[in-house]
Amino acid sequence: MMPIYWLLITAFKYGREAFAIPPKWFIFDFTLKNFIEALTTVKTPRFILNSVIITSGATLLSLILGVPAGYAIARSKSRLLNLSSYFFLLLLMVPPVAMLIPFYLIMRDVHLLGSYFAVILLDTVFDASFVVWMMRSYFADVPQEMEEAALVDGASHVGAFFKVALPLSTPGIVASALYVIIYSWNDFLFALMLTSPKTKTIPLGILASFSAVEIGWGRMAAMSIFAIIPAVIISLFLNKYFVRGLTMGATKG
Amino acid sequence: MKSLTLTFRRFFRDDGHYLLLLSPLLIFVVAVAIYPLFFSFRISLFDYRLTDPNQTQTFVGLKNYIRAFSDTVVIDSLKTTLVYVLGTVTLELALGLGLAMLLSAETQIARVLRSFLIMPMAIPPLVVGLVWKALYNADFGVIPFYMKAIGLNVGRGPLAELKLAMPAVILVDLWQWTPLLMVIFLAGLKSLPTEPYEAAVVDGASRWQSFWFITLPLLKPTALVALLLRTMQSFKVFDTIYATTAGGPGSVTTVLNFHIYTVGMTFFDMGYAAALANILLVVIAVLSVIYIMVLERQQL
Repeated sequence: MMPIYWLLITAFKYGREAFAIPPKWFIFDFTLKNFIEALTTVKTPRFILNSVIITSGATLLSLILGVPAGYAIARSKSRLLNLSSYFFLLLLMVPPVAMLIPFYLIMRDVHLLGSYFAVILLDTVFDASFVVWMMRSYFADVPQEMEEAALVDGASHVGAFFKVALPLSTPGIVASALYVIIYSWNDFLFALMLTSPKTKTIPLGILASFSAVEIGWGRMAAMSIFAIIPAVIISLFLNKYFVRGLTMGATKG
Repeated sequence: MKSLTLTFRRFFRDDGHYLLLLSPLLIFVVAVAIYPLFFSFRISLFDYRLTDPNQTQTFVGLKNYIRAFSDTVVIDSLKTTLVYVLGTVTLELALGLGLAMLLSAETQIARVLRSFLIMPMAIPPLVVGLVWKALYNADFGVIPFYMKAIGLNVGRGPLAELKLAMPAVILVDLWQWTPLLMVIFLAGLKSLPTEPYEAAVVDGASRWQSFWFITLPLLKPTALVALLLRTMQSFKVFDTIYATTAGGPGSVTTVLNFHIYTVGMTFFDMGYAAALANILLVVIAVLSVIYIMVLERQQL
Protein backbone atom coordinates (compact mmCIF):
# COMPACT_ATOMS: atom_id res chain seq x y z
CA MET A 1 0.00 0.00 0.00
CA MET A 2 2.98 2.28 0.62
CA PRO A 3 3.49 3.40 -3.01
CA ILE A 4 -0.18 4.36 -3.37
CA TYR A 5 -0.05 6.29 -0.11
CA TRP A 6 3.11 8.03 -1.31
CA LEU A 7 1.37 8.98 -4.55
CA LEU A 8 -1.59 10.32 -2.62
CA ILE A 9 0.39 12.54 -0.25
CA THR A 10 2.79 13.73 -2.95
CA ALA A 11 -0.17 14.99 -4.92
CA PHE A 12 -1.09 17.25 -2.00
CA LYS A 13 2.42 18.47 -1.19
CA TYR A 14 4.51 21.45 -2.23
CA GLY A 15 7.60 20.60 -4.28
CA ARG A 16 10.15 21.15 -1.53
CA GLU A 17 8.25 18.97 0.91
CA ALA A 18 7.71 16.16 -1.57
CA PHE A 19 11.47 15.67 -1.72
CA ALA A 20 12.23 16.34 1.93
CA ILE A 21 14.72 13.98 3.49
CA PRO A 22 13.79 12.35 5.82
CA PRO A 23 10.43 11.79 4.09
CA LYS A 24 7.40 13.47 5.60
CA TRP A 25 4.83 10.72 5.86
CA PHE A 26 2.15 12.32 7.98
CA ILE A 27 2.67 16.02 8.66
CA PHE A 28 3.10 18.39 5.75
CA ASP A 29 1.67 21.60 4.31
CA PHE A 30 -1.49 20.63 2.53
CA THR A 31 -2.03 22.18 -0.92
CA LEU A 32 -4.23 21.79 -3.94
CA LYS A 33 -1.67 23.56 -6.14
CA ASN A 34 -0.76 20.38 -8.03
CA PHE A 35 -4.34 19.63 -8.93
CA ILE A 36 -5.00 23.18 -10.07
CA GLU A 37 -1.86 23.05 -12.20
CA ALA A 38 -2.81 19.66 -13.60
CA LEU A 39 -6.21 20.96 -14.63
CA THR A 40 -5.13 24.32 -16.00
CA THR A 41 -1.53 24.46 -17.27
CA VAL A 42 -1.43 20.90 -18.56
CA LYS A 43 -4.22 19.58 -20.72
CA THR A 44 -5.31 16.96 -18.20
CA PRO A 45 -9.05 17.35 -18.92
CA ARG A 46 -8.31 16.70 -22.59
CA PHE A 47 -6.24 13.59 -21.78
CA ILE A 48 -8.99 12.28 -19.56
CA LEU A 49 -11.59 12.93 -22.24
CA ASN A 50 -9.45 11.06 -24.78
CA SER A 51 -9.05 8.14 -22.39
CA VAL A 52 -12.79 8.08 -21.79
CA ILE A 53 -13.54 8.12 -25.53
CA ILE A 54 -11.09 5.32 -26.31
CA THR A 55 -12.06 3.21 -23.31
CA SER A 56 -15.79 3.46 -23.90
CA GLY A 57 -15.39 2.88 -27.63
CA ALA A 58 -13.32 -0.24 -27.13
CA THR A 59 -15.57 -1.51 -24.33
CA LEU A 60 -18.78 -1.08 -26.30
CA LEU A 61 -17.36 -2.56 -29.47
CA SER A 62 -15.87 -5.55 -27.71
CA LEU A 63 -19.11 -6.27 -25.85
CA ILE A 64 -21.20 -5.95 -29.01
CA LEU A 65 -18.90 -8.32 -30.86
CA GLY A 66 -17.87 -10.57 -28.00
CA VAL A 67 -21.02 -11.33 -26.01
CA PRO A 68 -23.03 -12.89 -28.89
CA ALA A 69 -19.93 -14.78 -29.99
CA GLY A 70 -19.42 -16.16 -26.49
CA TYR A 71 -23.05 -17.23 -26.42
CA ALA A 72 -22.78 -18.95 -29.79
CA ILE A 73 -19.72 -20.90 -28.70
CA ALA A 74 -21.33 -21.94 -25.41
CA ARG A 75 -24.58 -23.14 -27.00
CA SER A 76 -23.45 -24.64 -30.27
CA LYS A 77 -22.97 -28.38 -30.39
CA SER A 78 -20.58 -28.12 -33.29
CA ARG A 79 -17.07 -29.16 -32.28
CA LEU A 80 -15.61 -26.60 -34.68
CA LEU A 81 -17.37 -23.69 -33.02
CA ASN A 82 -16.53 -25.01 -29.54
CA LEU A 83 -12.87 -25.19 -30.39
CA SER A 84 -12.88 -21.66 -31.77
CA SER A 85 -12.88 -20.39 -28.18
CA TYR A 86 -9.26 -21.54 -27.97
CA PHE A 87 -8.52 -19.50 -31.03
CA PHE A 88 -9.65 -16.41 -29.13
CA LEU A 89 -7.62 -17.42 -26.09
CA LEU A 90 -4.56 -17.71 -28.33
CA LEU A 91 -5.29 -14.29 -29.74
CA LEU A 92 -5.50 -12.90 -26.23
CA MET A 93 -1.97 -14.15 -25.59
CA VAL A 94 -0.38 -12.58 -28.68
CA PRO A 95 2.38 -10.18 -27.60
CA PRO A 96 1.01 -6.66 -28.13
CA VAL A 97 4.21 -5.58 -29.87
CA ALA A 98 3.81 -8.31 -32.52
CA MET A 99 0.40 -6.90 -33.38
CA LEU A 100 1.45 -3.29 -33.05
CA ILE A 101 4.25 -3.22 -35.63
CA PRO A 102 2.17 -4.34 -38.63
CA PHE A 103 -0.89 -2.48 -37.34
CA TYR A 104 1.10 0.73 -37.10
CA LEU A 105 2.21 0.39 -40.73
CA ILE A 106 -1.31 -0.41 -41.92
CA MET A 107 -2.81 2.53 -40.05
CA ARG A 108 -0.12 4.78 -41.51
CA ASP A 109 -1.02 3.64 -45.01
CA VAL A 110 -4.72 4.27 -44.55
CA HIS A 111 -4.03 7.59 -42.80
CA LEU A 112 -5.65 6.64 -39.53
CA LEU A 113 -2.58 7.17 -37.35
CA GLY A 114 -3.42 9.49 -34.51
CA SER A 115 -7.15 8.80 -34.65
CA TYR A 116 -9.22 7.43 -31.80
CA PHE A 117 -10.37 4.77 -34.20
CA ALA A 118 -6.93 3.17 -34.57
CA VAL A 119 -6.46 2.67 -30.83
CA ILE A 120 -10.04 1.50 -30.36
CA LEU A 121 -9.64 -1.12 -33.08
CA LEU A 122 -6.45 -2.56 -31.68
CA ASP A 123 -7.72 -2.50 -28.09
CA THR A 124 -10.86 -4.29 -29.24
CA VAL A 125 -8.88 -7.22 -30.65
CA PHE A 126 -7.67 -8.07 -27.15
CA ASP A 127 -10.79 -6.89 -25.33
CA ALA A 128 -13.22 -8.84 -27.48
CA SER A 129 -11.11 -11.99 -27.24
CA PHE A 130 -11.30 -11.70 -23.48
CA VAL A 131 -15.05 -11.11 -23.56
CA VAL A 132 -15.61 -14.23 -25.69
CA TRP A 133 -13.51 -16.40 -23.42
CA MET A 134 -15.22 -15.06 -20.32
CA MET A 135 -18.81 -15.05 -21.60
CA ARG A 136 -18.48 -18.53 -23.05
CA SER A 137 -17.90 -19.99 -19.59
CA TYR A 138 -20.54 -17.73 -18.12
CA PHE A 139 -23.26 -18.76 -20.57
CA ALA A 140 -22.31 -22.39 -20.07
CA ASP A 141 -23.52 -21.99 -16.46
CA VAL A 142 -26.80 -20.31 -17.40
CA PRO A 143 -29.52 -22.99 -17.66
CA GLN A 144 -30.85 -23.56 -21.15
CA GLU A 145 -34.42 -24.48 -20.21
CA MET A 146 -35.76 -20.95 -20.35
CA GLU A 147 -34.33 -20.37 -23.81
CA GLU A 148 -35.82 -23.65 -24.97
CA ALA A 149 -39.18 -22.56 -23.57
CA ALA A 150 -38.89 -19.32 -25.53
CA LEU A 151 -38.09 -21.31 -28.68
CA VAL A 152 -41.17 -23.44 -28.18
CA ASP A 153 -43.19 -20.23 -27.84
CA GLY A 154 -42.05 -19.27 -31.29
CA ALA A 155 -39.02 -17.06 -30.65
CA SER A 156 -36.09 -17.28 -33.03
CA HIS A 157 -32.67 -18.36 -31.79
CA VAL A 158 -31.40 -14.82 -32.05
CA GLY A 159 -34.52 -13.60 -30.26
CA ALA A 160 -34.02 -16.13 -27.47
CA PHE A 161 -30.51 -14.84 -27.03
CA PHE A 162 -31.57 -11.20 -26.71
CA LYS A 163 -34.73 -11.69 -24.66
CA VAL A 164 -33.78 -14.57 -22.39
CA ALA A 165 -30.07 -15.32 -22.18
CA LEU A 166 -28.79 -11.77 -22.21
CA PRO A 167 -30.76 -10.48 -19.18
CA LEU A 168 -29.78 -13.59 -17.21
CA SER A 169 -26.10 -13.01 -17.76
CA THR A 170 -25.79 -9.40 -16.61
CA PRO A 171 -23.28 -10.20 -13.81
CA GLY A 172 -21.01 -11.90 -16.33
CA ILE A 173 -21.26 -8.98 -18.70
CA VAL A 174 -20.47 -6.53 -15.88
CA ALA A 175 -17.44 -8.61 -14.89
CA SER A 176 -16.05 -8.73 -18.40
CA ALA A 177 -16.83 -5.06 -19.01
CA LEU A 178 -14.89 -4.06 -15.91
CA TYR A 179 -11.88 -6.06 -16.98
CA VAL A 180 -12.01 -4.59 -20.46
CA ILE A 181 -12.39 -1.05 -19.10
CA ILE A 182 -9.29 -1.47 -16.96
CA TYR A 183 -7.34 -2.96 -19.85
CA SER A 184 -8.15 -0.14 -22.24
CA TRP A 185 -7.85 2.63 -19.69
CA ASN A 186 -4.43 1.40 -18.56
CA ASP A 187 -3.06 0.75 -22.03
CA PHE A 188 0.12 2.64 -22.73
CA LEU A 189 1.98 0.93 -25.57
CA PHE A 190 -0.79 1.15 -28.18
CA ALA A 191 -1.60 4.74 -27.32
CA LEU A 192 2.11 5.59 -27.38
CA MET A 193 2.42 4.56 -31.00
CA LEU A 194 -1.03 5.24 -32.39
CA THR A 195 -2.16 8.54 -30.89
CA SER A 196 -1.28 12.07 -31.89
CA PRO A 197 -0.88 15.02 -29.48
CA LYS A 198 -4.61 15.65 -29.88
CA THR A 199 -5.69 12.13 -28.99
CA LYS A 200 -3.18 11.40 -26.22
CA THR A 201 -4.55 9.35 -23.35
CA ILE A 202 -3.94 10.01 -19.68
CA PRO A 203 -0.89 7.72 -19.21
CA LEU A 204 0.83 9.50 -22.09
CA GLY A 205 -0.18 12.85 -20.69
CA ILE A 206 1.43 11.97 -17.38
CA LEU A 207 4.64 11.00 -19.11
CA ALA A 208 4.68 14.16 -21.22
CA SER A 209 3.98 16.36 -18.22
CA PHE A 210 7.38 15.87 -16.78
CA SER A 211 9.66 14.95 -19.59
CA ALA A 212 9.28 18.60 -20.65
CA VAL A 213 11.29 21.32 -18.94
CA GLU A 214 11.25 20.53 -15.27
CA ILE A 215 10.40 17.34 -13.48
CA GLY A 216 7.08 18.03 -11.81
CA TRP A 217 6.59 15.08 -9.50
CA GLY A 218 3.79 16.85 -7.67
CA ARG A 219 1.88 17.47 -10.86
CA MET A 220 2.60 13.95 -12.07
CA ALA A 221 1.18 12.63 -8.80
CA ALA A 222 -1.94 14.79 -9.17
CA MET A 223 -2.50 13.57 -12.73
CA SER A 224 -1.89 10.00 -11.63
CA ILE A 225 -4.67 10.36 -9.08
CA PHE A 226 -7.03 10.93 -12.00
CA ALA A 227 -5.53 7.97 -13.82
CA ILE A 228 -6.09 5.57 -10.93
CA ILE A 229 -9.70 6.54 -10.20
CA PRO A 230 -11.09 3.49 -12.07
CA ALA A 231 -8.67 1.25 -10.19
CA VAL A 232 -9.78 2.65 -6.86
CA ILE A 233 -13.49 2.40 -7.62
CA ILE A 234 -13.16 -1.14 -8.85
CA SER A 235 -11.02 -2.44 -6.04
CA LEU A 236 -13.08 -0.84 -3.30
CA PHE A 237 -16.64 -1.13 -4.58
CA LEU A 238 -16.82 -3.54 -7.46
CA ASN A 239 -14.07 -5.96 -6.50
CA LYS A 240 -16.38 -8.98 -6.50
CA TYR A 241 -17.00 -8.55 -10.21
CA PHE A 242 -13.39 -7.73 -10.99
CA VAL A 243 -12.06 -10.79 -9.15
CA ARG A 244 -14.58 -12.90 -10.96
CA GLY A 245 -13.30 -11.56 -14.28
CA LEU A 246 -9.71 -12.25 -13.31
CA THR A 247 -10.23 -15.80 -12.15
CA MET A 248 -12.60 -16.76 -14.93
CA GLY A 249 -10.26 -15.22 -17.45
CA ALA A 250 -7.39 -17.31 -16.16
CA THR A 251 -9.23 -20.60 -15.82
CA LYS A 252 -12.22 -22.08 -17.50
CA GLY A 253 -14.49 -20.43 -14.96
CA MET B 1 -18.35 -35.67 -51.72
CA LYS B 2 -22.02 -36.12 -51.09
CA SER B 3 -21.49 -36.79 -47.40
CA LEU B 4 -19.37 -33.66 -47.16
CA THR B 5 -22.14 -31.45 -48.53
CA LEU B 6 -24.49 -33.23 -46.18
CA THR B 7 -22.27 -32.43 -43.22
CA PHE B 8 -22.13 -28.83 -44.35
CA ARG B 9 -25.86 -28.66 -44.75
CA ARG B 10 -26.41 -30.18 -41.33
CA PHE B 11 -23.92 -27.74 -39.85
CA PHE B 12 -25.77 -24.76 -41.27
CA ARG B 13 -29.16 -26.13 -40.27
CA ASP B 14 -28.16 -26.85 -36.65
CA ASP B 15 -25.54 -24.22 -36.05
CA GLY B 16 -26.20 -21.60 -38.68
CA HIS B 17 -27.78 -19.18 -36.24
CA TYR B 18 -24.82 -19.62 -33.91
CA LEU B 19 -22.49 -18.92 -36.77
CA LEU B 20 -24.54 -15.79 -37.42
CA LEU B 21 -23.92 -14.59 -33.86
CA LEU B 22 -20.24 -15.42 -34.12
CA SER B 23 -19.58 -14.01 -37.56
CA PRO B 24 -19.33 -10.27 -36.77
CA LEU B 25 -16.47 -10.98 -34.40
CA LEU B 26 -14.83 -13.43 -36.79
CA ILE B 27 -14.88 -10.89 -39.60
CA PHE B 28 -13.52 -8.22 -37.27
CA VAL B 29 -10.73 -10.43 -35.98
CA VAL B 30 -9.66 -11.58 -39.42
CA ALA B 31 -9.47 -7.99 -40.63
CA VAL B 32 -7.88 -6.38 -37.59
CA ALA B 33 -5.75 -9.19 -36.12
CA ILE B 34 -5.10 -12.01 -38.56
CA TYR B 35 -4.37 -9.81 -41.55
CA PRO B 36 -1.80 -7.72 -39.61
CA LEU B 37 -0.12 -10.90 -38.40
CA PHE B 38 0.27 -12.14 -41.98
CA PHE B 39 1.41 -8.69 -43.00
CA SER B 40 3.97 -8.84 -40.20
CA PHE B 41 5.29 -12.14 -41.53
CA ARG B 42 5.61 -10.58 -44.96
CA ILE B 43 7.57 -7.53 -43.82
CA SER B 44 9.83 -9.72 -41.71
CA LEU B 45 11.14 -11.11 -45.02
CA PHE B 46 12.07 -7.65 -46.24
CA ASP B 47 14.70 -5.09 -45.44
CA TYR B 48 12.33 -2.25 -44.66
CA ARG B 49 13.42 0.90 -42.86
CA LEU B 50 11.07 3.80 -42.31
CA THR B 51 14.09 6.07 -42.06
CA ASP B 52 14.86 5.39 -45.71
CA PRO B 53 13.47 8.37 -47.66
CA ASN B 54 12.64 6.20 -50.69
CA GLN B 55 10.84 3.63 -48.53
CA THR B 56 12.42 0.81 -50.52
CA GLN B 57 11.58 -2.71 -49.46
CA THR B 58 14.16 -5.26 -50.49
CA PHE B 59 13.29 -8.91 -50.28
CA VAL B 60 15.90 -10.62 -48.11
CA GLY B 61 14.25 -13.96 -47.37
CA LEU B 62 15.01 -15.30 -43.92
CA LYS B 63 17.97 -13.00 -43.40
CA ASN B 64 16.25 -11.05 -40.61
CA TYR B 65 15.66 -14.27 -38.70
CA ILE B 66 19.23 -15.45 -39.21
CA ARG B 67 20.44 -12.05 -38.06
CA ALA B 68 18.29 -12.34 -34.93
CA PHE B 69 19.88 -15.59 -33.81
CA SER B 70 23.42 -14.28 -34.27
CA ASP B 71 22.75 -10.83 -32.79
CA THR B 72 24.44 -10.65 -29.38
CA VAL B 73 22.07 -7.89 -28.27
CA VAL B 74 19.13 -10.20 -28.93
CA ILE B 75 20.78 -13.14 -27.18
CA ASP B 76 21.50 -10.91 -24.20
CA SER B 77 17.97 -9.58 -24.11
CA LEU B 78 16.70 -13.16 -24.20
CA LYS B 79 18.84 -13.99 -21.19
CA THR B 80 17.61 -10.86 -19.43
CA THR B 81 14.03 -11.86 -20.23
CA LEU B 82 14.58 -15.33 -18.76
CA VAL B 83 16.01 -13.88 -15.55
CA TYR B 84 13.10 -11.47 -15.31
CA VAL B 85 10.46 -14.11 -16.03
CA LEU B 86 11.97 -16.66 -13.66
CA GLY B 87 12.45 -14.09 -10.92
CA THR B 88 8.99 -12.60 -11.10
CA VAL B 89 7.02 -15.79 -11.63
CA THR B 90 8.61 -17.95 -8.93
CA LEU B 91 8.53 -15.23 -6.29
CA GLU B 92 4.98 -14.25 -7.17
CA LEU B 93 3.81 -17.85 -6.99
CA ALA B 94 5.31 -18.30 -3.54
CA LEU B 95 4.14 -14.94 -2.20
CA GLY B 96 0.73 -15.24 -3.83
CA LEU B 97 0.18 -18.62 -2.21
CA GLY B 98 1.32 -17.23 1.13
CA LEU B 99 -1.04 -14.28 0.90
CA ALA B 100 -3.91 -16.52 -0.15
CA MET B 101 -3.33 -18.79 2.86
CA LEU B 102 -3.18 -15.79 5.19
CA LEU B 103 -6.23 -14.05 3.81
CA SER B 104 -8.52 -16.96 2.97
CA ALA B 105 -10.46 -16.58 6.21
CA GLU B 106 -13.87 -14.94 5.85
CA THR B 107 -13.18 -12.29 8.47
CA GLN B 108 -13.81 -8.59 8.08
CA ILE B 109 -10.08 -7.75 8.18
CA ALA B 110 -9.20 -10.35 5.55
CA ARG B 111 -11.95 -9.03 3.30
CA VAL B 112 -10.77 -5.42 3.58
CA LEU B 113 -7.14 -6.38 3.04
CA ARG B 114 -8.07 -8.43 -0.01
CA SER B 115 -9.92 -5.57 -1.64
CA PHE B 116 -6.97 -3.22 -1.01
CA LEU B 117 -4.54 -5.74 -2.44
CA ILE B 118 -6.48 -5.87 -5.69
CA MET B 119 -5.79 -2.20 -6.35
CA PRO B 120 -2.23 -2.46 -7.75
CA MET B 121 -3.44 -4.73 -10.56
CA ALA B 122 -5.92 -2.14 -11.75
CA ILE B 123 -3.50 0.81 -11.73
CA PRO B 124 -1.96 1.71 -15.10
CA PRO B 125 1.44 -0.04 -15.21
CA LEU B 126 2.99 3.17 -16.48
CA VAL B 127 1.88 5.01 -13.34
CA VAL B 128 3.18 2.15 -11.22
CA GLY B 129 6.53 2.47 -12.97
CA LEU B 130 6.73 6.22 -12.48
CA VAL B 131 5.80 6.04 -8.79
CA TRP B 132 8.49 3.43 -8.17
CA LYS B 133 10.96 5.48 -10.16
CA ALA B 134 10.38 8.33 -7.74
CA LEU B 135 10.57 6.00 -4.74
CA TYR B 136 13.89 4.63 -6.00
CA ASN B 137 15.36 8.06 -6.77
CA ALA B 138 18.86 8.39 -5.30
CA ASP B 139 18.42 12.02 -4.17
CA PHE B 140 14.95 12.20 -2.74
CA GLY B 141 13.60 8.66 -3.03
CA VAL B 142 12.17 7.02 0.05
CA ILE B 143 13.71 3.60 -0.55
CA PRO B 144 17.38 4.65 -0.87
CA PHE B 145 16.84 6.84 2.21
CA TYR B 146 15.88 3.87 4.36
CA MET B 147 18.48 1.66 2.75
CA LYS B 148 21.14 4.18 3.69
CA ALA B 149 19.65 4.42 7.16
CA ILE B 150 20.33 0.75 7.76
CA GLY B 151 23.82 1.07 6.34
CA LEU B 152 23.41 -0.20 2.78
CA ASN B 153 25.33 1.33 -0.08
CA VAL B 154 22.93 2.45 -2.82
CA GLY B 155 25.34 4.30 -5.10
CA ARG B 156 23.41 6.15 -7.78
CA GLY B 157 20.12 4.63 -6.71
CA PRO B 158 18.72 1.12 -7.24
CA LEU B 159 17.66 1.76 -10.83
CA ALA B 160 21.05 3.09 -11.92
CA GLU B 161 23.30 0.43 -10.39
CA LEU B 162 24.17 -2.55 -12.57
CA LYS B 163 23.60 -5.08 -9.80
CA LEU B 164 20.49 -3.53 -8.30
CA ALA B 165 18.48 -2.58 -11.38
CA MET B 166 17.14 -6.06 -12.14
CA PRO B 167 16.02 -6.85 -8.57
CA ALA B 168 14.51 -3.36 -8.46
CA VAL B 169 12.33 -3.85 -11.54
CA ILE B 170 11.41 -7.35 -10.39
CA LEU B 171 10.20 -5.85 -7.12
CA VAL B 172 7.92 -3.48 -9.05
CA ASP B 173 6.44 -6.45 -10.89
CA LEU B 174 5.99 -8.32 -7.61
CA TRP B 175 4.15 -5.40 -6.12
CA GLN B 176 1.73 -5.17 -9.00
CA TRP B 177 1.12 -8.81 -9.87
CA THR B 178 1.45 -10.90 -6.70
CA PRO B 179 -2.20 -10.04 -5.92
CA LEU B 180 -3.29 -11.72 -9.17
CA LEU B 181 -1.80 -14.99 -7.96
CA MET B 182 -3.37 -14.45 -4.58
CA VAL B 183 -6.76 -14.10 -6.27
CA ILE B 184 -6.26 -17.24 -8.35
CA PHE B 185 -5.06 -19.24 -5.34
CA LEU B 186 -7.98 -17.99 -3.25
CA ALA B 187 -10.36 -19.31 -5.89
CA GLY B 188 -8.41 -22.58 -5.87
CA LEU B 189 -8.52 -22.87 -2.09
CA LYS B 190 -12.25 -22.26 -2.07
CA SER B 191 -12.87 -25.19 -4.40
CA LEU B 192 -10.89 -27.68 -2.28
CA PRO B 193 -12.85 -30.52 -0.70
CA THR B 194 -13.05 -30.51 3.11
CA GLU B 195 -12.98 -34.28 3.71
CA PRO B 196 -9.20 -34.78 3.52
CA TYR B 197 -8.73 -32.13 6.20
CA GLU B 198 -11.26 -33.73 8.50
CA ALA B 199 -9.52 -37.05 8.03
CA ALA B 200 -6.17 -35.40 8.75
CA VAL B 201 -7.47 -33.92 11.98
CA VAL B 202 -8.69 -37.34 13.03
CA ASP B 203 -5.25 -38.74 12.26
CA GLY B 204 -3.70 -36.04 14.43
CA ALA B 205 -1.87 -34.13 11.66
CA SER B 206 -0.49 -30.69 12.46
CA ARG B 207 -1.62 -27.67 10.45
CA TRP B 208 1.75 -27.54 8.75
CA GLN B 209 1.48 -31.21 7.79
CA SER B 210 -2.00 -30.80 6.38
CA PHE B 211 -0.81 -27.79 4.37
CA TRP B 212 2.21 -29.67 3.04
CA PHE B 213 0.55 -33.01 2.32
CA ILE B 214 -3.01 -31.99 1.42
CA THR B 215 -3.29 -28.35 0.36
CA LEU B 216 -0.17 -28.17 -1.79
CA PRO B 217 -0.82 -31.31 -3.85
CA LEU B 218 -4.47 -30.33 -4.32
CA LEU B 219 -3.47 -26.85 -5.44
CA LYS B 220 -1.05 -28.14 -8.05
CA PRO B 221 -3.47 -27.75 -10.98
CA THR B 222 -4.27 -24.16 -9.95
CA ALA B 223 -0.58 -23.42 -9.54
CA LEU B 224 0.21 -24.79 -12.98
CA VAL B 225 -2.41 -22.61 -14.63
CA ALA B 226 -1.24 -19.56 -12.68
CA LEU B 227 2.38 -20.32 -13.53
CA LEU B 228 1.75 -20.50 -17.26
CA LEU B 229 -0.46 -17.42 -17.26
CA ARG B 230 2.05 -15.28 -15.41
CA THR B 231 4.95 -16.60 -17.50
CA MET B 232 3.23 -15.43 -20.66
CA GLN B 233 2.39 -12.07 -19.14
CA SER B 234 5.88 -11.62 -17.77
CA PHE B 235 7.39 -12.20 -21.23
CA LYS B 236 5.37 -9.25 -22.44
CA VAL B 237 6.41 -6.69 -19.81
CA PHE B 238 6.85 -3.25 -21.29
CA ASP B 239 5.28 -0.30 -19.49
CA THR B 240 7.06 -0.59 -16.17
CA ILE B 241 10.45 -1.12 -17.83
CA TYR B 242 9.81 1.87 -20.08
CA ALA B 243 8.91 4.05 -17.10
CA THR B 244 11.62 2.97 -14.67
CA THR B 245 14.89 2.08 -16.39
CA ALA B 246 14.16 2.25 -20.14
CA GLY B 247 16.24 -0.92 -20.37
CA GLY B 248 19.27 0.45 -18.57
CA PRO B 249 21.66 0.91 -16.99
CA GLY B 250 23.55 -0.27 -20.04
CA SER B 251 21.19 -3.02 -21.11
CA VAL B 252 20.78 -4.99 -17.89
CA THR B 253 16.99 -4.61 -17.90
CA THR B 254 16.45 -4.69 -21.68
CA VAL B 255 13.98 -7.53 -22.00
CA LEU B 256 13.22 -8.86 -25.49
CA ASN B 257 9.85 -7.15 -25.69
CA PHE B 258 11.43 -3.79 -24.93
CA HIS B 259 14.24 -4.42 -27.40
CA ILE B 260 11.72 -5.12 -30.19
CA TYR B 261 10.02 -1.84 -29.44
CA THR B 262 13.35 -0.02 -29.65
CA VAL B 263 14.29 -1.63 -32.96
CA GLY B 264 10.91 -0.94 -34.49
CA MET B 265 9.78 2.34 -33.05
CA THR B 266 13.07 4.11 -32.34
CA PHE B 267 15.29 2.86 -35.15
CA PHE B 268 12.34 2.17 -37.46
CA ASP B 269 14.00 -1.00 -38.72
CA MET B 270 10.61 -2.55 -39.43
CA GLY B 271 11.67 -5.76 -41.16
CA TYR B 272 13.99 -6.77 -38.37
CA ALA B 273 11.57 -5.69 -35.65
CA ALA B 274 8.81 -7.74 -37.25
CA ALA B 275 11.11 -10.78 -37.39
CA LEU B 276 11.97 -10.39 -33.69
CA ALA B 277 8.32 -9.88 -32.79
CA ASN B 278 7.43 -13.05 -34.67
CA ILE B 279 10.05 -15.00 -32.73
CA LEU B 280 8.51 -13.74 -29.48
CA LEU B 281 5.10 -14.62 -30.88
CA VAL B 282 6.19 -18.21 -31.50
CA VAL B 283 7.60 -18.53 -27.96
CA ILE B 284 4.34 -17.25 -26.49
CA ALA B 285 2.25 -19.39 -28.84
CA VAL B 286 4.05 -22.55 -27.70
CA LEU B 287 3.44 -21.58 -24.07
CA SER B 288 -0.20 -20.80 -24.88
CA VAL B 289 -0.77 -24.19 -26.44
CA ILE B 290 0.69 -25.88 -23.36
CA TYR B 291 -1.56 -23.67 -21.24
CA ILE B 292 -4.62 -24.65 -23.25
CA MET B 293 -3.74 -28.33 -23.04
CA VAL B 294 -3.40 -28.04 -19.27
CA LEU B 295 -6.76 -26.24 -19.02
CA GLU B 296 -8.43 -28.80 -21.23
CA ARG B 297 -7.08 -31.71 -19.22
CA GLN B 298 -8.04 -30.26 -15.87
CA GLN B 299 -11.53 -29.08 -16.78
CA LEU B 300 -11.20 -26.36 -14.17
